[in-house]
Amino acid sequence: MEQFVGQIMPYFTVAIFLGGVTWRLWRWMIPRIMHNITLSPFPGTWTAAVTWWVWQIAIFWNILKFDRALWIGAFPFHAALIAIIAGHAMGIYTLGLQFHMIAPLLVSADLSVWLSDLLGTTMGLVFLVAVLYLLYRRFTVEKVRAISSTSDFLHLFLLLTIAGLGNYMRLVPDAHTTYLEARTFMAGLFTFNPVALPQNAFFMWHFFFVQCLMIIFPFSKLMHVFGFFWMRWMVNRPFKEWAPGMPGAKVQVTK
Amino acid sequence: MSTETAKGLRQPKRANEKLFRTLGIEPVPDEKKVEEAIRHLDDFRNKLRSFVVTMENCVKCGLCADNCHTYLGTKDPNNIPAGRADLIRKAYKRYFTPQGKLFGPLVGAEELTLETLEKWYSYFYQCSECRRCSHTCPFGLDTAEITMVGRQILFWLGIGPQLHTATAGAILKTGNHMGLTKAGIIDTLEFLAEEIEEDRNGLKVEFPTDKPDSDILYIPSSADFMLNPNTLKGAGMFFKWVGANWTMSSRITEAGNFGYLMDQTRIQREMVTRLYEECTTLGIKKIVWGECGHGWRAAKMYVASYSDLPGVAKIPMTHIHDEVAALIESGQLDLDPTRNSQKITLHDPCNYVRACGLCDQMRVIMRAVTSDFVEMTPNRERNFCCGGGSGVLFDDPAMYEYRILASNKKAEQVRETEAEVLCAPCSICKAQLYPMVKEHKLPVEVVGLIDLVGHALVFPEE
Ligand code: SF4
Ligand code: SF4
Ligand code: SF4
Repeated sequence: MEQFVGQIMPYFTVAIFLGGVTWRLWRWMIPRIMHNITLSPFPGTWTAAVTWWVWQIAIFWNILKFDRALWIGAFPFHAALIAIIAGHAMGIYTLGLQFHMIAPLLVSADLSVWLSDLLGTTMGLVFLVAVLYLLYRRFTVEKVRAISSTSDFLHLFLLLTIAGLGNYMRLVPDAHTTYLEARTFMAGLFTFNPVALPQNAFFMWHFFFVQCLMIIFPFSKLMHVFGFFWMRWMVNRPFKEWAPGMPGAKVQVTK
Repeated sequence: MSTETAKGLRQPKRANEKLFRTLGIEPVPDEKKVEEAIRHLDDFRNKLRSFVVTMENCVKCGLCADNCHTYLGTKDPNNIPAGRADLIRKAYKRYFTPQGKLFGPLVGAEELTLETLEKWYSYFYQCSECRRCSHTCPFGLDTAEITMVGRQILFWLGIGPQLHTATAGAILKTGNHMGLTKAGIIDTLEFLAEEIEEDRNGLKVEFPTDKPDSDILYIPSSADFMLNPNTLKGAGMFFKWVGANWTMSSRITEAGNFGYLMDQTRIQREMVTRLYEECTTLGIKKIVWGECGHGWRAAKMYVASYSDLPGVAKIPMTHIHDEVAALIESGQLDLDPTRNSQKITLHDPCNYVRACGLCDQMRVIMRAVTSDFVEMTPNRERNFCCGGGSGVLFDDPAMYEYRILASNKKAEQVRETEAEVLCAPCSICKAQLYPMVKEHKLPVEVVGLIDLVGHALVFPEE
């Protein structure tokens, strides 16, 4: 089992993830934009349109504006998720020295590790609470439950499991895995020279469920990460208006 | 073919097979319907990107629920935009996605059945294609696009409301929804000219029809000939005031487009084709559109990509509000706002504000032609639909009741303003708001915006 999860499965996971995402995006490009279905007010230029998309992503503007109760869960959830993904990459790769490397004069090596731990722990907990909140909402808010299928709940349970295991490893000293152990393991995978998983069952399950998430990613609503751009490309784009003014009329528009 | 209303579902009265045959549609027998529908879905998924992206990216966050007037009015989960789209999405998953084929109901995939098609008929004709869902969805997913696909497939199967199908038939025959003939049109226009003459101290306004060598082609809503004559009068007075060389065409006396609302192929195209044929025969230099929400969208946003005629892109096209507002802003019109002195509020037709960028213009006009204008909340592109959009103007009891429920939100908005007049510059909005005002006992009068312009215009000869 450990050997499979740690040394064989990851290659399949990555292949399915990348292949699946590519296939889905390619499928989305086959049908055409038949008509201009942009939402008004129309952005004047492409720059304005893209600025609007970025604004949406940066603070989840529509959710903030139209459903506060959702925003309270959705925004911290996504923000923490991004921080966690970046934190995993940076923290493990640099062994917690990322802040020291970015600003060597301001942040000492020790301080960087301390910061990395602090941020990791905080974001992990924020994420866990946000997942619980969204799950609670999906169960109890009638309009949300009515449109949910089993998989919508399962996605959240999967995230809950992953986050739960991750937090457990962080907070319980006995279950801890060091950055160095993780890096050695990941380096093996990346150099096609896989080594054994760190001796830690929590780590193995954490790693296993993350791979499950990556495998279902292209075949589920998780693709909304890309869907956002595909849809906004259609509904928030410039439109060229005809100028007012009636040819031949006695009264004319003046500039 | 099942013609009676399916159990427990709110459905509009159906058009019979004979009517469909006159439109070139041979109704598909029940045992073939599902198979045919799946084939059409497959076509759409290879053709229409907005459909595919909306199908595949809904995260079921539920945000759209309270932003759709149909769910607010009925509390029916199938009227949640995401729930409405799910009526197609479940089949889409089942037949076109690996996860749906493998895991079925676990991932929300479901076989398509005749009962589901009955639900399509019910719920795609409760959606008003108002796009408030798209406006509010974090991704912009557009359930109106799904409704359009649903209605189109139903049409091809030979399922459609009597109202829409008969209207589509009228388009092919007369070029307008009301089935007005040229003689009828000229008659009504003469009558309107006389009315103006009486009301406005002998003011003479002409309503030219099919006049060759005209510069401007005005496209009125055919409903204005019967239900909202003041809008037509207002337009006539405006064109007279500015001294335009204008005409209407008896072959396309219709700003709306019921093709767009049920058959976005043959019927919608017919209107586009006629429009440009009339431009070439009458020597038109510019098209000016009348008050109709969905119609203006169908024209402004679809004509360029839908026409089979190459000249289309060359003839400019604006809405009459664009023209009036531009003249007001350059200080060219003589308007007396005190003639419209009652407290008045504005209902933003969804298609204007969310699909056509027609929003500020209405405010410019309102402020110039009325003296006591109050906004309702929310307004502009955040406004709620009147509940009648996309021609959901059914009179059969179940659907009439539905229309009134769907207008709950609008009634509440209007009541809060304490206005005496409700301006709704769209023929379908007007047709919906007349009964809304009655059933919700609102003490307001419903008018169009160009009506007010006509009333406020000061003519030297008056
Ligand atoms: S707001 Fe958008 S993503 Fe959320 S449920 Fe509605 S359609 Fe789906
Ligand atoms: S288009 Fe309007 S009526 Fe239809 S689902 Fe969206 S919000 Fe509701
Ligand atoms: S009828 Fe009027 S308010 Fe309602 S969808 Fe059309 S434009 Fe919207």
